[in-house]
Amino acid sequence: MNFDFSVVAFGLPILLRGLVNTVLFCVIALPSGLALGSAVALMRLSHRKVARIPAAAFVEIIRDTPFLVQAFLLFYGLPTFGVRLSAATAGILVLSIHSGAYFSEAIRGAILSVPRGQMEAARALGMSYLRGMRRIVFPQMLGYLLPALTNQIIGAIKDSAVLSVITAPELSMAAQMVLGESFSPVETYAMVASLYWGLIAAVSAGLMRLEKRIFRSDAVVARPETPRLALSAIETTAS
Amino acid sequence: MPTAVTVMLHAAPWLLQGALMTLETSLLAIALGLPVGIGLAVGMRSRLRALRGFVRIYISFARGTPLFIQIMLVFFVLPSLGLDLPRFCAGVIALSLNSGAYIAEMIRGGLTAIPRGQIEAARALSMPRPLMWRRIILPQVLALILPPLTIEFTALLKGSALLAVIGIVELTRSCQQMVASTFKPLEIWLIVGIFYFVMCYALGSLTRYLERTTQVYRTV
Repeated sequence: MNFDFSVVAFGLPILLRGLVNTVLFCVIALPSGLALGSAVALMRLSHRKVARIPAAAFVEIIRDTPFLVQAFLLFYGLPTFGVRLSAATAGILVLSIHSGAYFSEAIRGAILSVPRGQMEAARALGMSYLRGMRRIVFPQMLGYLLPALTNQIIGAIKDSAVLSVITAPELSMAAQMVLGESFSPVETYAMVASLYWGLIAAVSAGLMRLEKRIFRSDAVVARPETPRLALSAIETTAS
Repeated sequence: MPTAVTVMLHAAPWLLQGALMTLETSLLAIALGLPVGIGLAVGMRSRLRALRGFVRIYISFARGTPLFIQIMLVFFVLPSLGLDLPRFCAGVIALSLNSGAYIAEMIRGGLTAIPRGQIEAARALSMPRPLMWRRIILPQVLALILPPLTIEFTALLKGSALLAVIGIVELTRSCQQMVASTFKPLEIWLIVGIFYFVMCYALGSLTRYLERTTQVYRTV
C-alpha cells in the first residue's frame, strides 16, 4: 500500500472546509438539543401524566431507532406533507432532536442524583419550582451531569458524520467530493478520520478542563462521588 | 390512508428479510467484538509498554471517530492491502473492531469491581497470568458486564444501519430499495422505524431484566 501525498495537498483544503461546516452544524444543533433535552427531562419528571407520557415516548422512540433512519424519515418523509427542507436544515433539525433525547436522559439522571429533600426544602422556603431547580438542584447535579453530557456531545459530533447520506455539506460529505475527484479512498478516509479524531480529542479535552475548573478544590460546589460505571451503562452511542 | 397500509403490507416481507440480515450482522459483530474487547482489556493490563500504548491509541481512535468513517475506512483499506473480502465481511469486521473498543472499556469498568485481594491471592499461589485471567477475572467480569453488553448489542443493531452505505442489503438498504420501487418514502421509512423500534425495545427490556437479575453478582 502506497500513501499518495498529492491527494493530501489536493483534498485537505476541501476537507477543512467540511470540518468547519461540521463544527457549525454542531454549534447550532447541540445547544438546541440541550434546550430540548432540558424541557423533555423536566417533562419526564413531572407528576402530570400529560407531560410525562409523551416525553417518555419521545425518548424511547428516538433511542430505539437508528440516527440514519431518523435522518431519512425527516428528509425524504416530510416533503409528503409539503414541507421541503434543505439538506443542511434537515440535518441540523434531526441532529438537535436526536441529541435532545440523549441529553434529556443525562439531565434526568443528574436531577435524580440530587436528593429529593433538597427540592422539597427549597419549595418549603417559598422558592418557585424553576428557581429551586436553578439555585439548589442545578449546582449539585453538575458533578453527575458534566461527564454524562461530555459523552453525549461526543456522540452527537460522531453522529453528524452520518448526515452526508442526506447530502448535508459536512466533513464526510466533503470526503465524498474529494473521493470523486481523486479516486484515492484510503488517503481520503485516513485524512477524514484524523480530522474527526482531532476534533473529538479537542472537544473532550476542553470539556474535561471545564469539569476540572468547576470542581477546583476551593470551589463552592463539592465534587460528588460520580458513579462512572453506571454512566457507561447509560452511554449507548456507538455511531 | 388505505394506500399507506397496502404499501406497508406490500413492503413487510421484503423488510423482514432485511431485518434478519440486520440481526445476523449485529450478532456476528458482537460475537467477534467480544474476543477483540477481551484482548484489548488484557492488553491494557499488560506489562509491555508498547502493547499498552497500542491499546490506548486503538481505543481512542475507535471511540474518537465516527463509525460511519470507520466502515468506509475498512471497506476501502482491506482491498488495498490485498484482502479482497466480500462487502458483508468488511461490514462485520468494521462493526466488531468498533464494538471491541467499547467492550474493552466495559471490561475495564468491570475490573474495578474485582477485589484486589483475589489477584494478590492468585499471584501468591503463583498462578500464571493467563490462567488468572481465565479462571479468576474473566468469569466474574463477564457476568458483570452482561447487561451493558446487551446495550452494546442494541447500539450495534442501530449502527448496522450504516452498512447500507457500503451496499449490504440489511434493513435500511432493503428499505431504500423499496422506496426506489414504490416512491412512498414516508410510509416505508416509518415502517422501517417501527421494525428497528420493536427490535431495540425488546432488547432494552432484556437489558432491564438482566440488570435486575444480575444484581446478585454485583455484591460478590
